[in-house]
Amino acid sequence: MRKEPGSRYYVEGIEVPETPEPRSEQEQWTQTEYVGKPRPRVDAYERVSGSAVYPSDTYLPRMLYGAILRCPHPHAVVKGVDTSEAEKMPGVRTVISAFTPDDRATQPHSELIHTTLFSTRCRYEGETVAAVAAETPYQAWDAVRAIQVDYDVLPFVSDERRALDPDAPKVHDEGNQVAPTDTYERGDVAQGFAEADVVLEEIYRAECEIHTPMELHGCVAKWDGDSLTVWESTQGVYNIQAGLAGALGLPLSKVRVVGHYMGGGFGSKLQAGKYTIIAALLAKKAARPVKLTLTREETYLAVGNRPASNMRLKAGVKQDGTLTALEYVGSGASGGYQAGGTSLLDWLVRDLYTCPNVRTELTNIYVNAGPARPMRGPGHPQCAWALDQMMDALAEAIGMDPVELRLKNVPTVSQARGGSPYTTTGLKQCLEEGAAAFRWKETRAAIAREGNTNHLRRGVGMAGGLWAGGAGGPPSTVIIKLFSDGSVNLNMGASDIGTGTKTVMAMVAAEELSVDPDAIQIEHADTGTTQFATASGGSKTVPTEAPAVRAAALDVKRQLLDLAAGEMGVEASGLTLKDGKVVSIDDPSQEREITALRSLRRRRSITGVGYRGPNPQGKAVNPFAAQFCEVEVNTRTGEVKILRFLAAHDSGRVMNRLTYQNQVFGGITMGIGLAMTEARVLDGDQTGKMVNKNWHDYKLPTALDVPADMTCVPIELEDPEANSVGAKGLGEPATIPTAAAVANAVYHATGVRITNTPITPMRLAQALADARKGE
Amino acid sequence: MLPKFSYVRATSLDEAVRLLSSDDGARVCAGGSDLLGCLRDQVFECSRVVSLTGIDGLRGIARTRDGGVRIGALTTIADVAADPTINQSYPGLAQAAGELASPQLRNQGTIGGNICQKPRCWYYRGDFDCLRKGGTTCHAVAGESEFHCILGGAGCFVVHPSDTAPALVALQATVRIAGRRGTRSVPMEEFYVLPNQDVRRETVLEPHEIVTEIVLPRPAAGMRSSYHKVRARGAWDFALAGVALALQFSGNRVTAGRVVLSGAAPTPWRSREAEEAIIGKQLDAATAAAAGRAAMEDAVPLRRNGYKIPLFQGVIEEALLAIGRA
Amino acid sequence: MASRRRKPAGKAQISLVVNGEPTEVAFSPHKTLLEVLREDLGLTGTKHGCELGECGTCTVLLDGQPVLSCLALALACDGKRVETVEGMARGAVLHPLQETFADLGAAQCGYCTPGFLLVAKALLEENPSPTRDQIKQALAGNLCRCTGYLKIYEAVELAAARMQGEEAEAKEETLYGRR
Repeated sequence: MRKEPGSRYYVEGIEVPETPEPRSEQEQWTQTEYVGKPRPRVDAYERVSGSAVYPSDTYLPRMLYGAILRCPHPHAVVKGVDTSEAEKMPGVRTVISAFTPDDRATQPHSELIHTTLFSTRCRYEGETVAAVAAETPYQAWDAVRAIQVDYDVLPFVSDERRALDPDAPKVHDEGNQVAPTDTYERGDVAQGFAEADVVLEEIYRAECEIHTPMELHGCVAKWDGDSLTVWESTQGVYNIQAGLAGALGLPLSKVRVVGHYMGGGFGSKLQAGKYTIIAALLAKKAARPVKLTLTREETYLAVGNRPASNMRLKAGVKQDGTLTALEYVGSGASGGYQAGGTSLLDWLVRDLYTCPNVRTELTNIYVNAGPARPMRGPGHPQCAWALDQMMDALAEAIGMDPVELRLKNVPTVSQARGGSPYTTTGLKQCLEEGAAAFRWKETRAAIAREGNTNHLRRGVGMAGGLWAGGAGGPPSTVIIKLFSDGSVNLNMGASDIGTGTKTVMAMVAAEELSVDPDAIQIEHADTGTTQFATASGGSKTVPTEAPAVRAAALDVKRQLLDLAAGEMGVEASGLTLKDGKVVSIDDPSQEREITALRSLRRRRSITGVGYRGPNPQGKAVNPFAAQFCEVEVNTRTGEVKILRFLAAHDSGRVMNRLTYQNQVFGGITMGIGLAMTEARVLDGDQTGKMVNKNWHDYKLPTALDVPADMTCVPIELEDPEANSVGAKGLGEPATIPTAAAVANAVYHATGVRITNTPITPMRLAQALADARKGE
Repeated sequence: MLPKFSYVRATSLDEAVRLLSSDDGARVCAGGSDLLGCLRDQVFECSRVVSLTGIDGLRGIARTRDGGVRIGALTTIADVAADPTINQSYPGLAQAAGELASPQLRNQGTIGGNICQKPRCWYYRGDFDCLRKGGTTCHAVAGESEFHCILGGAGCFVVHPSDTAPALVALQATVRIAGRRGTRSVPMEEFYVLPNQDVRRETVLEPHEIVTEIVLPRPAAGMRSSYHKVRARGAWDFALAGVALALQFSGNRVTAGRVVLSGAAPTPWRSREAEEAIIGKQLDAATAAAAGRAAMEDAVPLRRNGYKIPLFQGVIEEALLAIGRA
Repeated sequence: MASRRRKPAGKAQISLVVNGEPTEVAFSPHKTLLEVLREDLGLTGTKHGCELGECGTCTVLLDGQPVLSCLALALACDGKRVETVEGMARGAVLHPLQETFADLGAAQCGYCTPGFLLVAKALLEENPSPTRDQIKQALAGNLCRCTGYLKIYEAVELAAARMQGEEAEAKEETLYGRR
């Protein structure tokens, strides 16, 4: 049985404490003062003034600089490492490798990827071979270049489509299939295809993408005696803590990880890297703080990717639009180690549209390339690329509007979870309200009416989506402290990875405590001083942390009202908070300023604790989406201009309009990257090395590739069952349907279907020429 | 991180030439945007950077006595793109300059540096044994050749990265060069070196020579020029396929002119086939399409760049129809 | 001869005006302006992205023009004016662009923000009321992996309006999306 989606990010089925009086006051908000309004980030000043100190901006007294020697071959045995020259060089303070007499260097570096810190068998270009700490970055790199490595270069395989051939070089001695092929089946697909009026089959491929956050991966490590402090650019300080403690054999309590600001992660900064542990080891050996920031090239090779995905999809539909069967065979490139090459790659086929007969097969394959890591909606954008292009083709084949076909197949239960009902499913509203706001029908009619025969052709396309995660869940603990002057401290372990987590949490606390969010100071993302939280990933930070914050605020509020009740001679149950005052519900003239409460002044503060409660039993909590776009294609050159995008999202309650839109527009843009520009290129037929490990050759969308016309349509359904704030995740859903919508629009404009990402002028010019030849 | 080198800001051309002559490891630096990237990627060695920015008179755009224009080698790309005279008399050059790289790079990069750029081939720039770097192989032949040439390759299959160079070839510009033996002028068309002539260099420049200015002749009556570029994304990118036109018209008819391709060959590539297909004709759809086909007659794609043939046909057609309407 | 002044330890020294302040700084001759700003002058608001001129993250204004500090040798900046994000605010009072970037959510993770701010500042100094297309063109040399750029355009437009003396506020649709 496959693990439930999202288990990578949080733990299900554990006993968790609940707020002192569980859910007693946690009715859903009806009218809100702060939640749901647009609010600038509470730390916006720091981010725009240049005063925010990112881990890469951390400079400590006597700090050394680390650098890593990485294997230049995709597959090699390291027979020996001679560091003698490097050790003698000016400024060099320590050098370590697999041949250093230090048993830590040969320990597994994490529970997830079973490899030693420095590898003697390198399974991808960029594996760590040795590391240096020196007085300046220049000296560190000079020393790295002076290290002599004796490699025995082995045959390699770069392409997962060839890696299971009998004669393919073996990445691991046991073979190149990571695990037995994973299958899922419900109903009878043969029967389903027999019932279909139309059956189509197509092969799709999504190329490997690299996360490339703007801030490089890296950290600063510093020891005080036997305790370690690490400032790391990360999505989750507690994951880094666990990774460091595990690899170095330290008690968790002795590892403090701080990650206040970070310049983007997108899934690539969820765990400790080998570089994190290397920095700690170098710092220990040199007895000096060490800063280790990777180069941009290293981040392309060694800190994760969205793996290349191959998908064969066969689909049957009746003339009335009823889906009868879906059969899906997917494979993906895990990379050199076991790393989720096919994570959730079939989830949308299993769960997005109603279909009684579904069979899927996933095969995860080793290749000699950097290991995958979760990237914004693992598996989902790739699966949408296949499924939602197929839906488009089916719609055309039966002469139905693409939106209508999807509406015909909107599920009310999670079919992949044995029919568990969703707490809410806004897919229908996303499709209907999105199509209306986009003027879908009118635009299609106008294009048809004007005739699309010029060399500049217009087209519209859309796709649906859901994200298998996005529910959030325990554990999370939050502490809120109310001071006697009415100001508030909020203490939580979660990272704000740029999404606005701190701001949303301040709004939640402000809502319950009736204080201005500006009066709330937040301490966060520090394992030494803040409470436990899981990493910010999986679109679960708001649905996980906001209920815990609300619970903590309610705990404070209850204690505060108890104090006030004594002083005001009113039952606590008859009191509430408003504008910094305790007010009687029945007689609003009876009120008292919080700052005027004598008992609070004596006590100086009230501390409340909140825990994230369990998710609803037997129900699925998922966000839904539909996105629409319009393109103009130059059929002479294959250039595609994306004219506009509209995204309708059901992510439950909108917590902050401003950060909500941020997520949606950013998600669309990343999806445009998948659709139009991004692909890792390996020199697979010769050296196996990555040829485009830089931002010129690996292309992110620029301001000129993204439409200035983007619209966000929140579908705000009440979801009291999901959690106590009614919010679901948004960050990942926002990028899931995008690429498929673009491909469908390009097809609508040209009649040419591009099944392999990205839709570059290179690919499209060729496809258009081929189509003309065929005419 | 850059390798170690010393830095000298020359104050006269003579001094710069002397510095370059006396030190094998010396490299000229104008804006630095290409040089520093090459040094960081260790494409070649450099022990001394000789900056030209302290030399008077290498910057600026001025009319020549015969009605042409001189552009100092250190004039930034941004200044070329914005210059009213260039925009009026040589719009093809202004368009090429305006579409090049990114706004910041246009502020830093110079016209002299732009025409002397090193190839952007990922095997050349990367950690590969490469013929052009003194190695033994061209990895593009059996490798990832989507950005490589379809014309003029021999042994090495880079494309010339410059956008301004094809426009300058089309406009019949001349390069002024200072060196140990004084100054010389070379027509832009003869400035570049194909790999079958010398695979280790891109231009006729000797190591001690410096481009000092580019001279554009007075535009002939009825001259129109343009630059069209298709790239993989909206900014930063070099041409997948580009075409610079400088055509003389008499009424609707093309009487003379040049068609020069970018992204096609190791040098800006003058397509005489395309020129023949249009000279004496009106630029209607059939002529434009025929010119596109003619330009690609001799093209030999590698494994991954067959798309360039339809793409060039498309962009040439597009450019010719647009200039015909102008 | 060369205008370079040599320091004994193989270091070169230059004079710069950094954020309005005349500054002397000595460093190894192969250092880039980015490295000198961050490491020798402690101005870490200028971010390191790629060191190859491919992201715009390290953009500063050199004599008022946006340039990539990773592709500028510090020695080549002798005698010039450098402006970094730290120089935009007046004391604790933010520049109008910084205000609108903050208010409209144009800074998410914030790492690319200093580069965008400086390009936008140079744009508005040259062209006080740019069109949306001019803004896009001007910002095309800066990558952002978070925002999708739209909020950045809106922030530049709002700042432009305010700097023209209008009492402009963000459009409702900018803040709320379509309702």
